[in-house]
Amino acid sequence: MTRPPTSSPLPTVRFVPTASVRVTTVARVPQDLVVLLVRMLTAILIGAALARPVLTPTRRPVARVVMADVSRAVGAIAEVRDSARALLGPGDVLVVFDSAARVVPRGGADTLAHLARTARAGRVSSALIAALRAAATLRDRADSLELVLVSPLVASEVDGATGAIRALWPGRVRIMRIAAATDSAPRPGVVVHGGADDPVVVAAMAAHLVASDSAAAGVRVERGAASAADSAWVARGRRVLVRWPATDTPPGFVARAHVDTVGAVVAGEVAVVTPWARRWTLDARSRPRRVVARWVDGEPAVIERPAGAGCLREVAIAVPTVGDVVLRPAFGALVRALTAPCAAETVGPALADAPVQALIGSGGLVARAAIRPPDVVATPLVPWLLGVVIGLVLLELLVRRGARPPTTP
Amino acid sequence: MSSFATFAPVLDAVRGIGWPALRRVRSAVPGPHVSRVRGTSAEVVEYRPYRQGDDPKKIDWKLVGRTNRVYIRLSQERAILPTMLVLDASGSMAFPAPGNDKWELARRIGIGLAEVARQKGDPVGMTVVHPGGTRTIAPRSRRTVLEEMMHAVDLAPAGSGPLAPDVRAATRRCARLVIIADFLGDAEALLAVGRAFVAAGGELHAIHVVDAGELDPDPKKMLLTDPEQPELRRPMPPPARAEYVRRFAAWRDALARDWRHAGAVYSMVVPGSEPVRGMIRRITTPPGAARIGH
Repeated sequence: MTRPPTSSPLPTVRFVPTASVRVTTVARVPQDLVVLLVRMLTAILIGAALARPVLTPTRRPVARVVMADVSRAVGAIAEVRDSARALLGPGDVLVVFDSAARVVPRGGADTLAHLARTARAGRVSSALIAALRAAATLRDRADSLELVLVSPLVASEVDGATGAIRALWPGRVRIMRIAAATDSAPRPGVVVHGGADDPVVVAAMAAHLVASDSAAAGVRVERGAASAADSAWVARGRRVLVRWPATDTPPGFVARAHVDTVGAVVAGEVAVVTPWARRWTLDARSRPRRVVARWVDGEPAVIERPAGAGCLREVAIAVPTVGDVVLRPAFGALVRALTAPCAAETVGPALADAPVQALIGSGGLVARAAIRPPDVVATPLVPWLLGVVIGLVLLELLVRRGARPPTTP
Repeated sequence: MSSFATFAPVLDAVRGIGWPALRRVRSAVPGPHVSRVRGTSAEVVEYRPYRQGDDPKKIDWKLVGRTNRVYIRLSQERAILPTMLVLDASGSMAFPAPGNDKWELARRIGIGLAEVARQKGDPVGMTVVHPGGTRTIAPRSRRTVLEEMMHAVDLAPAGSGPLAPDVRAATRRCARLVIIADFLGDAEALLAVGRAFVAAGGELHAIHVVDAGELDPDPKKMLLTDPEQPELRRPMPPPARAEYVRRFAAWRDALARDWRHAGAVYSMVVPGSEPVRGMIRRITTPPGAARIGH
């Protein structure tokens, strides 16, 4: 296609000799309209995908985040199911937790039907963190938000961070308290293998812990070296073998280079204050399941390790043979704590009223404006758009192949 | 908007430049130029024997007493030279866009020459020939005439029309005429008017304004149009460009020759080629021109 070039003014153009000139320029005329259309559509869709479009859902009056406790503290899991099912509506989020929390954003009702109690301890803190994150994703779908906690709320489920995490939620937390599991089995009797003048034996007897029938005892305290028979014994049932050597280094510990003196040892709520000679320290290679007792400076003094159905407890406390410390009630309480059943089998007492009220808090439902939006916004349309783009690219290949002129043989 | 501030550099540049007449002037009004008239002023040129009809007041009675012959004393008179400037404001002067360099230079030279003439005492006037209406300022020697001229040249060149009728009208008002144009219109008619003016004793200056873009057109511009005649469009490929340069040079040479043969002082000015002061000095002191009385 030819077209005249752009004309420019020149006052002296009369001196230009008369001539006809044909100037050829390139004029772009679209021919493959289908290919052009496909490419334009592809470019538009790529642009739309890169723009990360977000669908704004219809808002409901109230959206809930239901935290369902499935830890070993739960008495009947059916009660958790029923309570959560009564609260959970379409679009609500279910948070299932024991020692870890798992968010179920959709299909919470189906998940509820398959909930099962676990053997792990419950952690309200982890559930609250997961619920707060889930609430941020719900803020665009509702005018108000509510947190609901379905749990027996035993004391062991709350830790030092729970209060600070709870304070992040600006409104009230609805508590659906269910029945806790009970420690149905009676406390097992204790048998102490040691000398008659062994202070631990004395303390156990003073604390009325010693079983009348040593064969039926569920806790064995070995003051000497434990044998293979002891290990086999503890693995056969829910038993506790407390390895508390009088002089030797307990398993899992190593002798300290210099014996020092520490002021107290703490086991849960029990503290024994006396100048303890600290002879051993925890071996760095030890992998205890939990620390039962600590020195006052935080160093582990007693650790617990699983052993079959039971557990082993390694005690690195050198009991003084002089003085009256073993006669004190605190030492008896320490022996009681160290001969308690394994941690996996205990539930513990229920949470007191004051911490429960602190957990509930004050105020009402939380307005969506009070919730900080999530840092990452889900864009479910993007994969679909990119999928269509891939389809269009393939379509273009087909169109171009179909438009190619046939080759002559 | 034209003003003293716009033309201040030009007015400053022409300070001290003189513009003496090329020939003795006929005017009897006292002025800076040497007059053809010999009168009785204090500047004595010669004595001549008294002839019947001479004014008895011119008789030098002391010389009569010494020589017993009657002589009259003649002296050299000086007179003014009324000057008119004619500016072409047709569309061809609006080149190149958007600066309109030709027109800008033309009006600067016009104002500069007017100031040169006025500061020596000559009455100076101006005619701006524009197809939309000719603006004429009668020759005067007071300073306000410059302001009137600045307002007169405050326009955008456009259209096309003959220059000769207005030039002819201007010749009746002056003894020195300056035409500032690109002579792309009625050049022949102008030349005829100029010849008549010079023959009548007038001093004529033809200032030809040519832009560098006309001397050496941009080779990228392939199709060209006359701004005064849009229907005149011609392509200019490289071979035609060389022919154009040759033809335009020949036309300029012929134009200069014709004006000079007509007795005019021809000067070609190109915007940006030299300072305005240099151009005006070149116009007011043409090379080879014999000066009288200075």
